[in-house]
Amino acid sequence: MKTTGRLLAALCLVVGAASALAHHSFAMFDSDNQILLKGEVTEFRWQNPHIYIHMRAPDAKGKMRHWTIECANPGILNRIGWKFNMIKKGDQISAVVAPLRTGEAGALLKQVKTADGKVHGNGGPAGPPTISIEDGKKLK
Amino acid sequence: MSAVARTTRAWLMVAAMVAIAGAGCTPKEEVATAGSFDPQDFSGTWDRYPQALDAGRDPTTLAIPAPDPIPDPPLRPEFVDAWKAERKRFADANAAGAPIATGYTHCIPDGMPAMMQGMFPMEVLMTPRQVTFIQEAYNQVRRVYLNDTLPAVDDAEPGFWGHAVGHWEGNDFVTETIGIKDYVQFRNVPHSAGMRIRERMRMLDADHFENEVTIEDPEYLTGPWQWKWVYQRRPGYKMYEYVCEDNREYADPETGEARMRIDTE
Repeated sequence: MKTTGRLLAALCLVVGAASALAHHSFAMFDSDNQILLKGEVTEFRWQNPHIYIHMRAPDAKGKMRHWTIECANPGILNRIGWKFNMIKKGDQISAVVAPLRTGEAGALLKQVKTADGKVHGNGGPAGPPTISIEDGKKLK
Repeated sequence: MSAVARTTRAWLMVAAMVAIAGAGCTPKEEVATAGSFDPQDFSGTWDRYPQALDAGRDPTTLAIPAPDPIPDPPLRPEFVDAWKAERKRFADANAAGAPIATGYTHCIPDGMPAMMQGMFPMEVLMTPRQVTFIQEAYNQVRRVYLNDTLPAVDDAEPGFWGHAVGHWEGNDFVTETIGIKDYVQFRNVPHSAGMRIRERMRMLDADHFENEVTIEDPEYLTGPWQWKWVYQRRPGYKMYEYVCEDNREYADPETGEARMRIDTE
């Protein structure tokens, strides 16, 4: 009973924290079927309400596409160690993303490996990657 | 899998997600000003409490108990069905992967009382004439005038943050707010022009303060709708600017669903 009570209390905390952090739904992105993109940055927009990475990279079928990738915002990402100029046009990067359910070349970022080899998450609300940023294999 | 098991699994996934990814949201210094404090000084920068980090922690070890979840509003019976249907519409759309666009999709700020939920860090400035609350998200600024009087409801031009006055009762800072636009809603709860938001804020210790919120609106509610928010000091934090300059998310004009604008090249 005590354990159940603690579990419930912990879940209440989670709900409170999650609602405080996630300011909109991410349901349009398919977080259950993440993909790995490797390619060249065409633009990095450091702005509100979201930062965007634009890049050219092949999709899962090998077709080259131009991707619009939504990141969290400058406040959240500054607080976890991002910098406004850490990605530049022409950089070769890897990104684990949750693609749009519509099949368009848009996505929510889960994790990015920048040109200097450093790996960055996308903050709490966006959720963690489920595949490896190195080879796209499912993480255990 | 049973419905209970599915629900439990979904919750655990949320818990794991927030716990794993939330570590980065933790203030570097959790407590900087332990010891004596001025119970009438809320100035400084604050985070909503508890933070995501605490999700993985035994709640009994928290320095300050987490506030109870916000209860459902005590709506008058004639409004209950419509409110539940609206909440279900949003929940169903999310479950179907086609979320309905909200004010955020249009770069519209929270307004009151949602602004005080502390989505991002909040700064409090105390000056002789007013207490000013600044919410980093959407650069929201709310001014609570000290020892002033509110206009009559009929004279209160509606806005996002409305008209607010405050005074001290002992060490409690007591505010009263009116004049919120009818479409500025918290949790989809409808309200009249006569809605009154009362707050009672008090320091719990040097690094935490609570805000007891009471919504009164006899036209829509059978009684007061009450909850508490708690904030934790974020020492040394400098607030970021927030201009909602390029939102690629938009509402589909036909379905109202949130969509994302893509650059083909």
